[in-house]
Amino acid sequence: MVRRVAVVAGGHSKFGKRYDATMRELTAEAYKPIFDEGITQDKIDATVLSYAASQFTGQGAGSALMADYIGLQNKPHLRCESACATGTASLRAAWGMVASGLYDVMLVLGVEQMNRVSSATATEYMSRAGDMRWEYPYGISFPAFYALMASRYMSEYNMPHDILAKIAVKSHHYGAQNPKAHLPKEITFEEANSAIPICRPLNLYDCSLITDGAAGVVIAAEDRVKEFTDRPMWIKGIGAGASDNMIQDRPSLTSIPGAKYAAKAAYKMAGLEPKDMDMAEVHDCFTIAELIAYEDCGFAEPGKGREIVENKENYHDGRIPVNCDGGLKSKGHPLGATGISMTYEVLKQMRGEADKPSRQIDDVKHGFVHNVGQSGQFVNCFIYERGW
Amino acid sequence: MAEKKELYLGYTTDKAITPFFQEFLENLDEDRLMKSVCTSCGEEYLPPRQHCQKCLSEAKLTEMTEREATLYSYVIVDFAPETLSSKQPYVVAIGEFPSGLKLTAHITNLTDMPTVGMPLKLGFAKEGEGKMITYRWLV
Repeated sequence: MVRRVAVVAGGHSKFGKRYDATMRELTAEAYKPIFDEGITQDKIDATVLSYAASQFTGQGAGSALMADYIGLQNKPHLRCESACATGTASLRAAWGMVASGLYDVMLVLGVEQMNRVSSATATEYMSRAGDMRWEYPYGISFPAFYALMASRYMSEYNMPHDILAKIAVKSHHYGAQNPKAHLPKEITFEEANSAIPICRPLNLYDCSLITDGAAGVVIAAEDRVKEFTDRPMWIKGIGAGASDNMIQDRPSLTSIPGAKYAAKAAYKMAGLEPKDMDMAEVHDCFTIAELIAYEDCGFAEPGKGREIVENKENYHDGRIPVNCDGGLKSKGHPLGATGISMTYEVLKQMRGEADKPSRQIDDVKHGFVHNVGQSGQFVNCFIYERGW
Repeated sequence: MAEKKELYLGYTTDKAITPFFQEFLENLDEDRLMKSVCTSCGEEYLPPRQHCQKCLSEAKLTEMTEREATLYSYVIVDFAPETLSSKQPYVVAIGEFPSGLKLTAHITNLTDMPTVGMPLKLGFAKEGEGKMITYRWLV
């Protein structure tokens, strides 16, 4: 028997260069608001406490450290790793444990502490997620994988860089209104379109940030939900997908096959369609990734994602508001926290608790989360439904 | 078999050299690019795999005869991972051979911006007293 499962609470640390904290303190910062809502340690049966890469800190077996620091040292815990999709992989694992009846109430918390090493070293660590034998020897950094998609996309669809710059402008517009964002500042189109190159055709403002941060949510089985909230967010659909490990082996670079599959599976499980979504949080590790996500998630036909940008349909009052928290681009991208941060944002939007009216999406009944690991090797999509 | 020659592919620090990979490198050292062909189902792999992805049978190294390709996609790496910082900027390209096999490598002799669809030729190069060897793309 599969039980219905809801997200009942969430917490979020400040994202940024957090030299004042390590993964311990960040974990506490994300759990504290949940604790303050009354979900104390004794109410939690088990946890999934995750981070994507231990290289950044040197700390091994970090989930034990995280559990111990927030007083959950005696509750069963585990860590899930799926690169940048670690957060939603953790949530997918926890959903299975609650839906199956193994546990009733679980804390799922993701963290990453990335700024204790230089940008060049961080870039080096992330490039090792490529094939160590065949890709790594050619210095294909994480932005380089997405630049390979961008070059191909721009050529196949004859698209100028302008479209990508407009996505960056939108991300920073909303990040500037999010007090938890890493880089909360507005940028102009000219700045976004002519910033210093990082991996051409991608420039500085096409790239997400190297961020420290944490986010957590609590999920509960349907017959326990009322103990915690009268505003639950039901997990209505989950889809997961995967893609060829080497990017050259993909049948297309204008789409992420695993994301298309994951989105389709999530819609099928939810019994809903893209047009039913009132908002989306998509994995904009790079502006091109956001554009491709519009198409992979079904919000635009292949090659037509640019119309969403040109018509500003992705703004908070548009047809399909996307990343109105600033996204990975402006809010920041602490790898293991990102998928949970997206989930937190959907919960906040649904509850009408966005920080400012100027980024509050009206009447969110259904929200979509699209979280991609590496360059598409791991993808999780979630569909949430308002439960009140 | 002759004494094992110390060889590395491209700018790697990975020293996980297996007998299969060593054979690939020794061929590359003599300007031969090897694909692998499954001994059971005939599937071809570039870069080569020792085990067929489809049937897990052994795949044997076989010389690529194709020399010309077209540029499938590219990136100009302006900000490199730490180990390649001294080489930036450099251009990484996926080239597609007429057979459909693809190869990811640097283009080393560009004088102008690369474009998708432009013709590429397979080349070879050595560095570091000949221990660091690679295939590369030329325009």
